[in-house]
Parts: sequence; C-alpha cells; structure tokens
Amino acid sequence: MVCLVVAAVIIAVGMYSISVGDAPVPVSDVIATLLGDPTADSEFIVGTLRLPRALTAIGVGAAFGMSGAIFQSLARNPLGSPDIIGFNAGAALGAVGTIVVWGGSSLQVSIGALAGGLSTALAVYVLAWKRGLEASRLVLVGIGAGFSISAVNSYLITRADISDVQRATVWLTGSLNGRGWDEVRIIAVALAVLAPLAIVMQRSLDRLDLGDDTAAALGVRVGRAKLGLVLVGVGLAALGVAAAGPVAFVAFVAGPLARRITKTPGACVVPAAFVGALVTVTADLGARRVLAPTELPVGVMTAAVGAPYLLWLLTRQSRTGAL
Amino acid sequence: MNHDPTLPATNTGSTRTPAVDGGCASRLRADQIQLAYDDQIVIDRLDVTIPDGQITAIVGPNACGKSTLLRAMARLLKPMAGQIILDGKQIHSLGTREVARRLGLLPQAPIAPDGILVIDLVARGRTPHQTVFRQWSTNDEQAVRNALEVTDTLDLAERRVDEISGGQRQRVWIAMALAQETELLLLDEPTTFLDISHQLDVLGLIHDLNRERGRTIVAVLHDLNLASRYAHHIIMLRNGAIVEAGHPSDVITDRSVHDVFGLRCAVIDDPISHTPLVIPADNRTHRTNQQTQ
Repeated sequence: MVCLVVAAVIIAVGMYSISVGDAPVPVSDVIATLLGDPTADSEFIVGTLRLPRALTAIGVGAAFGMSGAIFQSLARNPLGSPDIIGFNAGAALGAVGTIVVWGGSSLQVSIGALAGGLSTALAVYVLAWKRGLEASRLVLVGIGAGFSISAVNSYLITRADISDVQRATVWLTGSLNGRGWDEVRIIAVALAVLAPLAIVMQRSLDRLDLGDDTAAALGVRVGRAKLGLVLVGVGLAALGVAAAGPVAFVAFVAGPLARRITKTPGACVVPAAFVGALVTVTADLGARRVLAPTELPVGVMTAAVGAPYLLWLLTRQSRTGAL
Repeated sequence: MNHDPTLPATNTGSTRTPAVDGGCASRLRADQIQLAYDDQIVIDRLDVTIPDGQITAIVGPNACGKSTLLRAMARLLKPMAGQIILDGKQIHSLGTREVARRLGLLPQAPIAPDGILVIDLVARGRTPHQTVFRQWSTNDEQAVRNALEVTDTLDLAERRVDEISGGQRQRVWIAMALAQETELLLLDEPTTFLDISHQLDVLGLIHDLNRERGRTIVAVLHDLNLASRYAHHIIMLRNGAIVEAGHPSDVITDRSVHDVFGLRCAVIDDPISHTPLVIPADNRTHRTNQQTQ
C-alpha cells in the first residue's frame, strides 16, 4: 500500500523531471511520447536524453535502497550501510580503475565495480572479524577502508590521462549527467537478477534479526544465509555504482526512512527500494534545477541532505552508547 | 498432546528407536563430546542423557560449560570429538530445519528487533514449518494462538515487545519457542533477570508444558532450590564434567553442592514441596562480629 503511494510519487516526480529543463516539454507530450506517440522534438529530448536518465535514477536508487536495508539489518546499525562502510568506494575504485587503465566500456566498468565492491567487502569483513562480527567494529573498519580507497581513487586520477580525468571525477561524485540506455541496461539487468533474490532472502534477514543462535534454532542456515545476503547486497550496490557512480547517502537514508513510513520493524527491503528510487529521482531533479542551467552531480544533492542526517545519527548514537 | 513419555515418538520420521540408557528412553543424548571455543576446550569427553518427557535442569557454577552444552545439543556448536544423538541419528547429519522441527532452543539473551509486535515475534517460531512458497497456513495461525494462550500472553499480542515487562517478555520468548511445536525444548537460563514471583511464573509454565503436553524440557537454572522443586532430573556440572546426575532428592546433598559450588551448606526438606532445600552456611561470621558493636 505504502509502496503504491511511493511508486505514484516516483512516477509523478519522474514525469515532471523529464518535462522540465533547458528545452521544456509539456507533461502531456511526455506522456504521449512514453505511450509511443512522440512529437518531433520530444522524441529526442525525452527518448534519448531525459527518459534514460530518469530510469537510471530510479533503478540506481532502488538498488542502493535494497542494499542499504540489507547491510543495515545485518550490522544491526544504520551506520552499516554500504556507502558508509566503504563498499561503494570499493566498487568505485574498481570502476575508476577500469576507466583509467582500460578506457572501459560500460560492461567492463560494471565488472570492475563488482570486483571492487566484492573485494572491499571481503577485506572489511576479514579485518573486522574478531571472534564474530561486532557492528561497531565493522563500521569503524569500514569507514577506514572507505577513506583508504578514496585516497587510491584520488591517486589514480592524478596519474590518469586528462580526458579520462574529467569523466572519472564527475563519475566519482555520483552523477546521472549524460546517462543513456547503456546504464539503464546495466541497472535493469542487476535488478532483474538480484531484486528477486533480495526479496526471497528478506525472510532469513528477519530471522537473523533475532540473533544468530535464535535464527539457527529456528532452522535458518546462518552462515549460508549471511553469505547470500552479503553477495546480493554487494552486487546491488556495486552495479548501482557502475551505472551512476557512488551516489552518497541513498543507501544510508532509504532503509530508516522506509521503516518509518511503513511503521514495520526490521529491514524492509522492498519499501527501501521504492524510497531509494524516490530519493534519487528527487535529488536528481534538484541537482538539475537548483543552479540551472548548470547541472550539479546528483551526489552533491544527496550529500547535502544525507550529511546532516549522518551527523544527527552520530550524536544520537554516541549519546545512547550504541557506537 | 498425545505424546506418551515412555514410548519413543513415532511422528518424527526417524527410522531407529531412540537409544535407551539406564532404563529410560532418551531421544537426545551426547556421546563422549568434546566442545571448544577457538582453542579453549570447555567440555572434554562428556556423556549426557536427557530423559524423555521430563524436566531436566542443568546447574553449576558460572562458566562451567552449561550454555555450551546446551548450544551443542541444539546443533549450534559442532563438537570437536564425539557426537550428539537426536532420535538415533547424529545431529550434524540432520538438516538445520529438520532439527528445528524437533528441537527448540531459547538462547540466554535473545534479541527482539526494535518495535516488533508480540504476535509477530511469536509467529517467527513457525519458521521451520514454512517455506518460501508456503509462508502462512491455518496450522501456523493455530500454533501461534495456542502458544499465546498457554503462556498467557494473548492479551499482549498487539503490544510492542520493548514496552512490556521483563517477566512478560520472557513468557513471549517462550511462546515463540512453543509456536515451533517441538517436543524437545532447551531453555538457557529462562529465569535470569526475573524477580522471584516471575521466576515461579516461568517455572510453573514449564511444569505445565511438561505435564499437560508431555514436552521434554532442558533448562539451565541458577537457583538450586527452584531447580530441585521443578525438575525431575538434575545434572550438576563443574568444569565441563558431570559431578552428579539424577533425581533431585538423590543428587542435591551437602556434599555434592560443596563439590560443585565450593559452598558449605545444609540440605533440608522443603516444607512446601518436600524437595531438597539448600541452606548456605554462614560465611560472614567474621564481618558480623565486627559490626555488632
């Protein structure tokens, strides 16, 4: 029910976002174009420029939202989301590496991002492991890993060819500028494969919420379930990064927001996907219009909203002793 | 429940009859198990037999391996050597879900997700009976309702777990384990952190479950007197080894309590339940003398 409402809002914001810009297209024309009855101008502006961008925003937001909900629940801590604990940075490293070293087609960039994300996740979990996985340790190790990786990213950019630098830098901020059908395809395939898995695994996630022993006593294969969740979560985050760069804070805010809206406890993977999509589409609309005609990277917008929330959460958690 | 404690259960799909030890049937036992966390051996070559249809209490000083033993018997910890036998089969050869349909465990400090409702928590107990494709059935509905009724938590169903009292919360957790509908139920310190009347509440519930529904229950308990009163079988554990095991009136003696807890005491007859009552010796003679004047 809540999801339907959020979906309607996403569509409305998406339509509006497609219609506004340097060359405005009336919403009625947008709808006509989407229904396969384009006017001369709208064909190009909607079909080639703005529709893929909006779809990428929705898909990437959904992927980040689900990934965030999964990791926050696994870590039992909102700070456990993949953008905070360095997984997105790792995926970005993989992608930047591919761009700088090989030039990088979008398929190569996706593979690079996946490899980067998975190896970062592995490294963070290994480093944070000490007779089990404690949330605060995971978060701290992850933040450290994220910084180290950002440093490597910056280094790569200083060594790169000047033509790649521009592309890599904008991309590193998390941007939807100039996104075409290539990116839509990446994120659509990622969602088609990983979203159903995430939805099925929500069941185990809900049981793991009761603690490992209780979950195991209820018949959940704890090790296997966790591994599956981590792989799916990293996959979603990494392919989101491959399509739009490490857009900050979407994964971080989507889960808690979704939980507040639906008023259900635990990880709500599906609502988080919708909320993530809404956040990203709205942020992109803002990024395009706030300083129009200059288009900001969407990551700047999400950071402007997400950073204060992070500060608030940190002060609250340190007060309650959760971190 | 139609379960007769003297007969091996027939509805579990096991092909062999449960092992018989010392004349009493036992679906769950440990053979020469060695348990360790990392390199530290907690229990070495231990034999345990859990009598069917009875309440077994495991008692012993802190860190003597009580919880470790319970975790191993619930398949949460794999023995380094030896084996746990459930219904005549090695427990580690059975699937997690298969075990979860026969044996329930309530860990010492289970975690309730923020804001979860009592009814949703209890419903999680149905997990081993559900699949991805068949998530909720009338059986599940009935089992959850039963569990809430038996534990007297039906009124709390729509309340949030974090807003009810500690005693109520413990009953809700037991309700979750009951919704699992297993004939064996392992409880790790179900009465810790409860005041005396809530402790009696929970133990009374355990007693009823055993008597009216024939459940086999194993509980780690701290209070020797309550353990003596409610359990049919007591296992006294010290440093990972069994010091005594048997009926409370046979095993709870001043000597065994001294051996296990290093406590000098007198054991008298409980005037209400006529079970052993441990009266600790006075170890503050010195201090009291100083305080009186």
